[in-house]
Amino acid sequence: MSSIQINNVTKRFGDFTAVEDLSLDIKEGEFVALLGPSGCGKTTTMNMIAGIEDISEGSILFDGQDLSSTRIQDRNIGFVFQNYAIFTHLSVYKNLSYGLEVKKIDKSDIDTRVRAMADRMSITHRLEQPASSLSVNEMQKLAIGRSAIVEPRIFLLDEPLSNLDAGFRAYMRAELKVLQHEFGQTMIYVTHDQIEAMSLADKIAIIDQGKLMQYGSPLDIYNSPDNRFVANFIGSPRMNLIDGKLREEKSQLKLMVHGGAEIPLKGQVKSNFTSDGSVQSGSFGIRPQDIYFGDKRSSNDIEMKGIVDVLERVGPKRIAHLQVSETNFIAFDDQDQLKLGEKVSFFLPSEKSMAFDEVSGRRSGVI
Amino acid sequence: MTDITKQPENSTKKQGYWAGVARDGKKMGFWFILPTFLLLLFIVIFPLFMQLYLSVTWWTPLEGIPWYRAWEVFSWGDNYVFQFTDERVWGALWRTIIIMVIAVPAQFFLGMSLAYLFMDNFPGRKIFYSLMLTPMMIVPAVVGLMFYLLFQGTGPVNAHLGLPVTFSWLTDVNRAMISVIIADVWQWTPLMFLILLAGMLGVPSDQLMAAKLLGGSNWQNFLKIILPRMKAVIAIALVLRAVECFKIFDLVYIMTKGGPGVQTETISVFLYKMTFGEFEWSYVAALGLTILFVLSIIAAKGLAYIAKKDG
Amino acid sequence: MKVSPSAMALKYFFVLFASAIVLYPLVWMITMSFKPYPEWTTVAGLTWLPKNPTLQNFEFIFFGEAKGLVVSLDRTIAGPFIASLVTSVCGTLLAVVAGTLSSYACVRFGLAKTLPLSVLQLRLFPPLAVMIPVMVMWAFLGAVDTWWGLSLIYGIVTLPFAFWLMKTFFDEVPIEIEDAARVAGCSYWRVFYRITLPIVKPGLATCALFVFILNWSDYLLALLLTQKDWVTLPVYMATLTSAMGGQMYGMKAALGVIAAIPPVVFGLMIQKHLVRGLTFGALKQ
Repeated sequence: MSSIQINNVTKRFGDFTAVEDLSLDIKEGEFVALLGPSGCGKTTTMNMIAGIEDISEGSILFDGQDLSSTRIQDRNIGFVFQNYAIFTHLSVYKNLSYGLEVKKIDKSDIDTRVRAMADRMSITHRLEQPASSLSVNEMQKLAIGRSAIVEPRIFLLDEPLSNLDAGFRAYMRAELKVLQHEFGQTMIYVTHDQIEAMSLADKIAIIDQGKLMQYGSPLDIYNSPDNRFVANFIGSPRMNLIDGKLREEKSQLKLMVHGGAEIPLKGQVKSNFTSDGSVQSGSFGIRPQDIYFGDKRSSNDIEMKGIVDVLERVGPKRIAHLQVSETNFIAFDDQDQLKLGEKVSFFLPSEKSMAFDEVSGRRSGVI
Repeated sequence: MTDITKQPENSTKKQGYWAGVARDGKKMGFWFILPTFLLLLFIVIFPLFMQLYLSVTWWTPLEGIPWYRAWEVFSWGDNYVFQFTDERVWGALWRTIIIMVIAVPAQFFLGMSLAYLFMDNFPGRKIFYSLMLTPMMIVPAVVGLMFYLLFQGTGPVNAHLGLPVTFSWLTDVNRAMISVIIADVWQWTPLMFLILLAGMLGVPSDQLMAAKLLGGSNWQNFLKIILPRMKAVIAIALVLRAVECFKIFDLVYIMTKGGPGVQTETISVFLYKMTFGEFEWSYVAALGLTILFVLSIIAAKGLAYIAKKDG
Repeated sequence: MKVSPSAMALKYFFVLFASAIVLYPLVWMITMSFKPYPEWTTVAGLTWLPKNPTLQNFEFIFFGEAKGLVVSLDRTIAGPFIASLVTSVCGTLLAVVAGTLSSYACVRFGLAKTLPLSVLQLRLFPPLAVMIPVMVMWAFLGAVDTWWGLSLIYGIVTLPFAFWLMKTFFDEVPIEIEDAARVAGCSYWRVFYRITLPIVKPGLATCALFVFILNWSDYLLALLLTQKDWVTLPVYMATLTSAMGGQMYGMKAALGVIAAIPPVVFGLMIQKHLVRGLTFGALKQ
């Protein structure tokens, strides 16, 4: 088990900067997800931790030690590739035993450990068969078992569930969590799927275009996104983010939306927008779940009027697209009451609303 | 951009035989294969029969009769019988095999080592790679010349090794063979290198990386991951080189003319001497057919073995 | 990935050592071609670079005589050079045309299924085992010591390479492209000529260069089938030796250098496809 400190790491490929000034502090035994859209640099970051890629600037410390001059072979890092990289010319047994064989461990020891791991991963019945004959699901288990059997100090997984069918994916998600607790290893997990990250990780590092956007627990990230990107990325359906200019009109602060609508700012969200001094423009953020219909619940809640443009059914719930001028708000029609084309009033609770600076994207009013 | 599928406007739909051929796959295929077929018939199949005919006679170009009257000097199977007791035949065969058995494995190990060296990238790799390939691109006769010059008593090898001018390579009973083998290894190791490296680089890189991450040293990974996956490539390289090595002529003839005496007389050199030295053409014809026969059987057995392996 | 400096140094050591071995004979021959007579052997002290570099050797083979040399030749390099060029080019043309056409017919129409293997077998046998009847036939037809006689043999001997090499290139043309053209109304010939051939043009060029190298490098066949007028470069180079009692090192070296250049140049040009050609398509780079 090892803690990992990523200190101001930058990675350049010629003119292209894949990772810029990334710093993360991962504690022993933590399950950390590297989350972000394709090409954001999360796999590159993981490759640097593993030693597969060189670091252009900065350092990565393992329990305080810099391993950059150590050979990959000696780093004792477990790595599960996205396509598993199973040794297809060997049997399942030989795949599992590889890491132990190269350490010249006693044959009978190897046998005990291989069989135990095969049992743990439920692939004992496949031990003598060629690894190439396994199904995708079994291959994934083999890949994990092969890395786990050498008891590495940390475990790196590169989008390990993306190739699996949906049913098995849910099963493996649970399995991984159990395994992590059992082995007690520090686990770093690369994914572009936020649901996976939110359900598995102790901490999530959101990365976009090589930069760290936010690093915190799933709940923190959901409730207190540091910036517009995180707010937009996390949450399904996505948070409503309305961009506009701030204008004072008769001692009332309004957000003049680019699409024509006006949002009067009150309460918490008003002070959020003004807390950073003179902020000229920004984004107003409110999650669909927080928009409500019917009676106003608090004096600080903002009332908006709009037309029901689209109604979608998502499972048991209904999502309504509310059109205000040319701006769209997405909300949940909890009571199944709305009708298409209907003109309705809806409310944006100011405590739950968020303010984002237009230029920097940072959330305003954060202490 | 003209639509090439449309007929050109100023041509009427061509009638006639060739237009029909153009539209009929089987007919066109027939015409396509015809040149090759004719070449094979004329230069391979017909000559084989002629060779069979000549091999059962005593005919040589010195007899004074044209070849089609070779029946006048019928000999039945005498040529064939003589082959088996001819010491020179066995000697040539033996020497050829010795060369093969030493040169081919040597080329294999050197080629494999070079391939291992060139597997990972390093500055200048491309240039050195091209350089390494050059020997096999040199005209074999010229390679023969080069080593002929090198191995002269008064040549650089002796000078650089501090050996006396009288120390002979090409005319010494033992060292002539070694000289020829060295020349062959110099010329053809690059071929082994080329093939084996291609095979090595065909091993999936992420599996190699996975092996490294599991703690396997470069050498261990080479033995357990790379080598097992190269079995087919290794077989191809060995077979190709063995077949060519059996035919070796240019190098030997130019360096030693098969000498001293018959010390470096390989099968091909022997046959050549029989042809233009002693003009025993019908004997060579018989020998040729025997060689054809034996090699065909070996090849057939080899193919059957491969077919079985592939399942 | 960090490689330790000592490992890198070791690698370079071996690479440089191998390079030296590769260069040794080549450099020796090249420098020899610029050396005057006294420097040909250790008798006067052996050096790498000529003490008195001279173009005498080249002059001699180009003009038949040179300053300061008593001997002269009855024939210059011109004849053999042209012989090599003409027979190689014609042989290449023959092999490539016949090989390409039959390869296409085999791949696309599934005709003559035994052709690939039988053509491969041609390469299995020592030439001398099968050349007697050819020599007899050639003598009978008056084809000995002619350009077309040798070209014909060159064509058939390298046809297997052309066949298999083009086969790999044809295999890489997706059949859907040809089918699409067929559906649009093209005849088989049109498809081949206007669609497939343009796609494999680079492969065709590679094939031609590859076969040319093989033909140019031949020694034995020319030895058997030429006598005087159409002797090729390699044969001329070798007979120069025996004609003068074997002491024409400088001239031979010069000839060797000239003969060696085209295949090396072409070989480096088609470097990427060498594996494919030499393993009859079994491997690709």
